[in-house]
Amino acid sequence: MSAANSVVITEQSGLGLAAVMSRKGVRPAAIGAALGLAPSEGPGRVGDARLALIGTGPGTWLALTEAPDPDWSLQLAHKLTGLASVSDQSGGYMVFRIGGNGARALLQHGAFIDFHPDVFRQGSAATTVIAHIGVILWQRDDTPTFDVATFRSYAHSFRRWVETTAAAL
Amino acid sequence: MRISCPYCGDRDAHEFVHRGDAAPRRPTSDDGFYDYVYLRDNIAGPMREHWYHAQGCRNWIVVARDTRNHQMSGAVLAREASR
Ligand SMILES: [Zn+2]
Repeated sequence: MSAANSVVITEQSGLGLAAVMSRKGVRPAAIGAALGLAPSEGPGRVGDARLALIGTGPGTWLALTEAPDPDWSLQLAHKLTGLASVSDQSGGYMVFRIGGNGARALLQHGAFIDFHPDVFRQGSAATTVIAHIGVILWQRDDTPTFDVATFRSYAHSFRRWVETTAAAL
Repeated sequence: MRISCPYCGDRDAHEFVHRGDAAPRRPTSDDGFYDYVYLRDNIAGPMREHWYHAQGCRNWIVVARDTRNHQMSGAVLAREASR
């Protein structure tokens, strides 16, 4: 791996994660009004470290907080009573942060979507597969830094894919 | 082959499960139920098909595709197509 293609991967620990699925007929704006942000209607990330919603499908989001209270998902469910179902996924997913100037090329080796900065930029998100492993990924900033969420039981395999692929960049 | 998911955008066909002809409608009685469940036309030309975006947004979509050349002329969420 050359310095021009460095990749830095870190496991994000202590996150709060939850799947949010809006009830029939509830518009994204109503979800947003209850949570104090305007969630993306498409595959995108909106929010901050306190609470971010990543679009995973029509009316569905992955909610993420970097500083969860122990009853975080219950608080979220309470705010969304009658609007959406909330299921805690904090133990279900592992989130990897992938940065460095080789990060984009690395992900482009794995996912069949276009990572060119003209079409995939800060706030963009996608639910897809890398090396047959289901992932939800989004771009945090233009450094660029990406976050990749994968089912926790696949985390070891995903990390091995990153390491072998990064070595070939 | 790339399929344009109404939510996710252009994706490789391997992310999808193909079900086939989207034309059959669920009958209101037992009559015609065998045909509805098991019989699908295999059209050479333009048709509307059900595809499931299993490795993406996990939604059923209806894709208009010409089976002779794989040209796609549109896709909508199945829940919207059935309205
Ligand atoms: Zn999709």
